[in-house]
Amino acid sequence: MASDSPNSDRKIVVHLRATGDAPILKQAKFKISGAEKFAKVIDFLCRQLHRETLFVYVNSAFSPNPDELVNDLYENFGFDGKLVVNYACSMAWG
Amino acid sequence: MSGVAGDGTLAPSDFRVAAVAFAERWKSAVSALPPWSWIPRPKHPWLSNEVDGYLALENACLLGSSEENRVGCCGGSEEPNCSGDDEPVDDATLVQSSRDDVHYYDFHIIYDSSYRVPVLYFRAYCGDGRTLLLNEFEGDLPADSSEALVKSKWTFITQEEHPYLNRPWYKLHPCGTSECIKLLFQSDASIRTTSGAAELYLLSWFSVVGRMVGLGIPYEMMKYENNT
Repeated sequence: MASDSPNSDRKIVVHLRATGDAPILKQAKFKISGAEKFAKVIDFLCRQLHRETLFVYVNSAFSPNPDELVNDLYENFGFDGKLVVNYACSMAWG
Repeated sequence: MSGVAGDGTLAPSDFRVAAVAFAERWKSAVSALPPWSWIPRPKHPWLSNEVDGYLALENACLLGSSEENRVGCCGGSEEPNCSGDDEPVDDATLVQSSRDDVHYYDFHIIYDSSYRVPVLYFRAYCGDGRTLLLNEFEGDLPADSSEALVKSKWTFITQEEHPYLNRPWYKLHPCGTSECIKLLFQSDASIRTTSGAAELYLLSWFSVVGRMVGLGIPYEMMKYENNT
């Protein structure tokens, strides 16, 4: 899996999935460059939901480091041409 | 009952299996940090749900003045010489850090018999061995995790006597762990029933809890064969 290939410029389809008591987004699918860090997905989610922190994890029961590249996460945890990102509210008191 | 219970807890009989698997994967995936060791402890015959040891990672050093607050490796307790294979070390940064800036951490993963989940205990100290208080090493924690810790319902930092060492340590409270694991494992319904479920438990758990204290799980550690 070469990381220098043109694939690093590709867009990854991310599917955001609300879990627990988290609100559901009107638009749950979007594309992001594979070269971006996962932090960008987290930030996007937090902004969309007006929350400062969220519990964010991918399928396979794993919460990635924000520094990981979306490309790497898609390669390892994506399926059906998309990366499913689950989110739940981590705040109870606010 | 083995495997991961539907309520997000881990059976005591599976803790050792999970710990060994976790430590092995850590060793092959994380080169910049010391490995985890299993520390055996005798069981008390009158207690139920006990396990016979815990995991320890000690003498991990944090460069206090580094902008990134990345955890580096310090195998011994002498020099703060961190040689990670993953990225080049900026010598200039190391030189500027005085010894006072270097904070060392001991992390223990200990099974909690009442919550039936693992708990992360940790202790911070500086070069001369003096234990640091929370307000002295809080700055080492990733910025977003400090905030998350304050506001999170999953966990918070509390100080308690270490279950085996009889000294005050900090820990991430386990009250929200099972809920957190339940959500994580719901993301893949087949996981709980596979034979690797117990092994997966600590990995999943640590990917959340470890990050609170600046340790994460690189995605490579999650790769395993699904015995479905």
